[in-house]
Amino acid sequence: MREHNRAAPPSRRIQRASRRRVNLAALTVLLAALLLLAGCGGDHSILNPAGPAARDIRLIWFVMLGFGTVVFIAVIALWLYTFKKRHVARTPAQERRIGRRWIIGGGIILPTLTVIALLMFGVPTGKRMLTLPLDEPPEVIEVIGHQWWWEVRYPGAEGGEVVTANQLMMPAGEPVDFHVTAADVIHGFWIPRLGGKIDMLPGRINRIRLEADEPGVFGAQCAELCGVGHAHMHLHVEALPRAEFDAWLAARSDEALAELAAQNAAFDAARDSFTQFCAGCHQVAGISASNIGPNLSDVGSREALGAGVMAMEEGAIYQWLRNHQTLKPNNLMPRHDDLDNDTLQDLGAWLETLTP
Amino acid sequence: MTTINRQATPQDPQEPEDGRTLHDDLHEIWGNPRGIKALTIVNHTTLGLRFMITGMAFFLLGGILSMLIRTQLATPDQNFMTPDIYSQVTTMHGTVMMFLFAIPVLEGLAIYMIPKMIGARDLVCPRLTSLGYFCYLFGGIILASSLVIEMAPNAGWFMYTPLSSSEYSPGLGSDFWLLGITFVEISALSAGVEIVVSILRTRTQGMALHKMPLFAWYILAMALMIVVGFPPLILGSILLELERAVGMPFFQVAGGGDPLLWQHLFWLFGHPEVYIIFLPAAGVISTLIPVFAGRPIVGYGWVVFAIIVTGFISFGLWVHHMFTVGIPQLAQAFFSAASMLVAVPTAIQVFVWLATLWLGKPKFKLPMLWVLGFLIIFVCGGLTGVMLALVPFNWQVHDTHFVVAHMHYVLVGGMLFPLMAGFYYWLPLFSGRMPSETIGRWGFWLTFLGFNGTFLIMHWTGLLGMPRRIYTYEAGNGWEIFNLLSSVASFVMSAGIAMVLIDIALHFRFGKPAKHNPWGADTLEWANAMPPSAYNFVSLPNIETRHPLWDNPDLPRTMAEGKHGLAVASHGRREMWGSDSITGKVREIVHLPGNSWWPFLAALALAVVCISLLTRLYPVAAVFVIVAGLFLLRWSWENGAHPKAAPDAEVNEGDPPLHSRTMSGPGVWAMATFSIANGSLFLSYLFGWFYLWTVSPEWRMPEASPLSLLVLVGAGVALTVGASIMEKLVRGLRARRDSGLMRGFYLSALLGAVQVGLVLWSLLSAGLEPTQTSHDAVLLVGLVYALFHGALAMILTAMQGLRVRCGYVGAHAPFEPAVVVQLWRYNLVTFWVLVGALGVLPRVMGG
Repeated sequence: MREHNRAAPPSRRIQRASRRRVNLAALTVLLAALLLLAGCGGDHSILNPAGPAARDIRLIWFVMLGFGTVVFIAVIALWLYTFKKRHVARTPAQERRIGRRWIIGGGIILPTLTVIALLMFGVPTGKRMLTLPLDEPPEVIEVIGHQWWWEVRYPGAEGGEVVTANQLMMPAGEPVDFHVTAADVIHGFWIPRLGGKIDMLPGRINRIRLEADEPGVFGAQCAELCGVGHAHMHLHVEALPRAEFDAWLAARSDEALAELAAQNAAFDAARDSFTQFCAGCHQVAGISASNIGPNLSDVGSREALGAGVMAMEEGAIYQWLRNHQTLKPNNLMPRHDDLDNDTLQDLGAWLETLTP
Repeated sequence: MTTINRQATPQDPQEPEDGRTLHDDLHEIWGNPRGIKALTIVNHTTLGLRFMITGMAFFLLGGILSMLIRTQLATPDQNFMTPDIYSQVTTMHGTVMMFLFAIPVLEGLAIYMIPKMIGARDLVCPRLTSLGYFCYLFGGIILASSLVIEMAPNAGWFMYTPLSSSEYSPGLGSDFWLLGITFVEISALSAGVEIVVSILRTRTQGMALHKMPLFAWYILAMALMIVVGFPPLILGSILLELERAVGMPFFQVAGGGDPLLWQHLFWLFGHPEVYIIFLPAAGVISTLIPVFAGRPIVGYGWVVFAIIVTGFISFGLWVHHMFTVGIPQLAQAFFSAASMLVAVPTAIQVFVWLATLWLGKPKFKLPMLWVLGFLIIFVCGGLTGVMLALVPFNWQVHDTHFVVAHMHYVLVGGMLFPLMAGFYYWLPLFSGRMPSETIGRWGFWLTFLGFNGTFLIMHWTGLLGMPRRIYTYEAGNGWEIFNLLSSVASFVMSAGIAMVLIDIALHFRFGKPAKHNPWGADTLEWANAMPPSAYNFVSLPNIETRHPLWDNPDLPRTMAEGKHGLAVASHGRREMWGSDSITGKVREIVHLPGNSWWPFLAALALAVVCISLLTRLYPVAAVFVIVAGLFLLRWSWENGAHPKAAPDAEVNEGDPPLHSRTMSGPGVWAMATFSIANGSLFLSYLFGWFYLWTVSPEWRMPEASPLSLLVLVGAGVALTVGASIMEKLVRGLRARRDSGLMRGFYLSALLGAVQVGLVLWSLLSAGLEPTQTSHDAVLLVGLVYALFHGALAMILTAMQGLRVRCGYVGAHAPFEPAVVVQLWRYNLVTFWVLVGALGVLPRVMGG
C-alpha cells in the first residue's frame, strides 16, 4: 500500500490531498456548528434579540450567512474541481466563449444581483432605527458618555428632568428615542439585544430609536475605544412596564430625591463628609449641584458601582471608596484612601440609603 | 568613467580586446560596493530586498504583539497586561502591520520585480529608492522604539480625535505615531511616484501597455493609489500634530474644529489603503495562476478593467467606516451601495482566475497551495465585507470582534497568503535555489488552520456582542470558550508562520540549486540570472508579445549574449530605455545616477528632524530641516550635464538621445506624478476648510476676513508674471534657443521672492490667532503652504540660473527647466484657488 502510495501519479496525489482537505473542512464545519449551537444567548448577543430592530437584523444576518455559505462553497468547489477535471483541448474561439461566460456570469451578474437583492431586502430594515416623526412622540432619553461612565437624562419626566448615571431605565413595548452625545472623547452607545449602535460624539447629538418587546434587563457597554477605562464602561439597561417606568421617574423628582438625601439625622456626619470631600464633583439632590462625576442622588438603587465593575450590595460603596483605583484602574476619581475607615464607612452607609 | 572605450559594441560583446566580457564592464558600472559604502547603494534589486527583509522583521514584531493580545484575551479577567499596555500593544499591532509591514513589503516586491518584468535595469529615480528605504527604516525604528520605553501610541491605530489629542493622550505616544508615520509615508510616496514613472516610461522596446505583464498593471494602480491616497493622511497627521504641539484646534469642538474631520481624512486614506494592499497581492495571484495553469490568463482586458474600476471605486468608499457617526441617510445609502459595488471588480478577478484554471492544465505546486489558501480566506472575507456594507447590519457589528475577524480575513487572506505564494514562487529568482516542499507544506497547513481557527471563530465572538479593543471581559456572556479557542489557534498560526520563515531563511543556504526558469514562466524577470545581476540584463530586448519567454524560449540566452539593445558599457553610464508611455516605442536613453551618499544623509537629517520634533526641540528641528534641504539640493545638483551625470552626450549611432538632452524625460513625468500627490494634499486641505466651514458644530467665521485681498492678489500677479517668464524660457529651449536664459531664471526667482514676501506680509498683517479658533489655524496652514511652495520654486529657479552659469543646463541640456516649470504651473493654479477659497469666497458668502 505504501509502495503504491509513493508511486501514485501526481494527479492522484492531488486527489487524495484534496479529499483530505474536504474531510478537514467538513470537520471544521461540524465543530463550528456544534459550538455555535452551544450559544446564541448571552446578555450582549446580537443573536438573542429582545426588540424589533435587533430581530430584523438577526434575520438579515442568517439570510446573508446562508446565501454567503452557498456562494462560498460553490466558488471553492469550482476551483478545486479545476484541478481534478480532465483537460479538454478547445479552439481559441471556444476558450474565449467559455472564459467570457464565467467572467460575465460570475464576475458581473452574480454580484450585481446579490447587491440589488441585499439592498432591497436590507435597506428598509434600517428605517426602524431612524428617529422619524411618529403620531405619538416617543419617550426621549438623553445619554451622555463620559470617561468612563454614563450620564442618563430624562427630559420628559413629569416632575422635571431626572438625571441618573450608569443605569438606563426605559419603558417596554414602545419605541424610545435616544439622543446621545459625549462630554470628552468619542464613546459608542450600543444595546446589542435591542438594535444597532450609534457613536457619541462631543459637540454633536446623534439619535437612534430602539424598542424592547418585554420588560427585562439587557447588557450594554461602550463600543468605541475611549481610553484606558474602555473595558470598564458598562451600562445597566432595564425595560420596565410603562406604569412602573412612570413611577420610577416620579420617585426621582428633585423634591423626592432631596427629601431622601436629608432624612435620618444619624447621617449628618456623612452628609458633612460628602459636602467636604465629594460635593466638588458629585451631585446629590438638595446637597450639591456639581456634575463632573456621576450624579449620586439615587445611587443606592443602582445595580452596580463604577459603571459595572462591582455589584451593589451592603458595604459595596465603602469597598469602592477604599479600592476604586484597583477595581477600575485609572478611573478619574481621586483616591480617597487617605480618609479614615469610619468616615468612608459612614459615607458608604449613607449613600446606600439613597434608594427612592 | 573618464576613459571611454568605444570598441565594445552590441555586435561583438563577448570578444573585447582586453579579454573582459561585457558582463564585467556592466558590473563595474552597476555593481554594489561593500562595507560602509553599502549605504550608498541605489540599486533596485538590493533595495527591494532590503525593503522586504525589513518589512518581514516588522512583521515579526507585529506578530509578537498579536500573540500578546491573544494571551491577554484567552481567559476572562486576565491580569497579564494593564489596560494602558494593552492599548499600546493593539495600537502598535495595527500600525506596524499596516504601515511598517504590508505597504513596505509590497513596495519592496514591486521595487525588486518591476524593472525586471518590464525589461529595465533599474527604477527611474534610484536615489529616491534609497531615500525611501532609509526614511522607512528610520521612521520604523523611531516608531518601534516607543514600545521599548512604554510610550507607544495607545489611541488605536486610527488615532481618533479627541482621544488622541493632547488633552486625553498627554504623553508622547500620539506624537510618535503622527511623526513616525508621516516619516514612513515619505518613503511610501517616493516609491509610489517612481514606480508610476518607471512603469509608464521605462518599459523595454515595444512593450506597449497592452503587452505589459498584469503584475505591472496592478502595481501601477497601487502606486497611483498611494500617490493620491496617502496625502490626506499626511495632512491629517500634520494638523493633529500642530494641534498637539501648539494648540491649533482643528479637531476640537470648542475651538471651532471637529473631531469628525480627522475621521474623514483618515479614512480617505484608510480605505484606498486596503486596496493598495490588496491589488499587488492580487497581482501576484494573476501572475502565478497562468504559469501553473500553463496557459495565458483568460480575459486580460477584463482584469485591467477590474483593476482600474477598483482603483476608482476605492476612493468613494471611505464613509463605510463611519456608518455609526450619524451621517445623513442619503449619504449612507450611497456609500453602502458603492461599498457593495466593489464586489463586482473583485468577483471578475476571482472568475478570471477560475476560468484560467478551468481552461488550463493546473499543476499543484507549493505556491499554488498558498493561492488556494488565499482564495478560501479572501472569498470569505469578501462575503462578510458585502454584509458589512449593509448599514443596519453594520450598526450591529461595527466595533465588535466580527469586524476584527472580517478585517483579518481580508488583509491576511488578501495580502499575506498571496505574498507567501509570491515568495515561494520568486524564491528561486531571489536566491537561485528551490524552497523545500515538505517544510513549506507544513508551514502552510499550520498557518491556514491556525488562521481560520483564530478568526472564523472570532466572527461568532463578535456576534455574541464582544466589542473590540477591550483589554478584558467578564465571564458569563458566552465569550470565554470562543476567545480561548481563538487564542489557541493563533499560536498554531504563529508556529506555521515561524516554520515558513525558517524555511525561507534556510533555503538561501540549503535549498537545491534551481534550474533556469523553474516554473516555466512567461515573464521577463525569469530572463535574469538567478540570483540577478545588479544591472538585470546585458541587453534589452524588443518585446512583441505578452508572453516573451513562452513565445521565444531562447530570449534569456540571446539577452545574456548581448544580442539586443543597449549592450554598451564603454561610456560608463548606467543606461536603459526610456519609451513611449503607451506604445513602448523607445524615445530616449535614460541615464541613471550611480551610488550616492546624499539619500542616506538626507534621510538621516530628516530622522533628526523627526526626533527633535518628538522631543520638542524645535530650534534643532528647524536647523535640520535646512540641513536636509541642503542635502537634497546638493543631490539634485548632480544631474543633467554635471560631470557626475552625463557631461558627454554621445550615443551610439542609431540610438536615441540621452533623456537629459530632451524635454520630456522621466523626470518631467516624476514631477507631474509628484504634483498629483501634492494636489491631493491640497484638495484634502480645501476639503478640511470647507468641511469645517459648513459642518463643524461651533465654527466661527469672522465678520470681516482678516486677509488683505489686495496683498494676496499682488502676490498672485508676481507669481503669474514669474510663471509666464518660465514658460517663455521653456518654449525657447524647446526651439533650442537659450539666449538670456540665466537672466530669465534670476528674474523669475526674483518674482518668486516678491510673491513669497507679499504672502508673508499678508500673513503677518492678518493678526491671526491660530490657537484660538480653527478658522485662523486653517488660514495659517493655507498661507504657509503657499509660502513653502513659492519659496521652493524660487530656490529651484535660482539654482537653474546657477546651473546655466556652470554649463549644466542650456540649449544642449534643456531637461531641468522643463521639470521646474511644472512647479510654477502647479503654484499658479493652487495659489489662485487658495486666494479664491480663503480670500474671496468668505467675502462673497458671508459668515
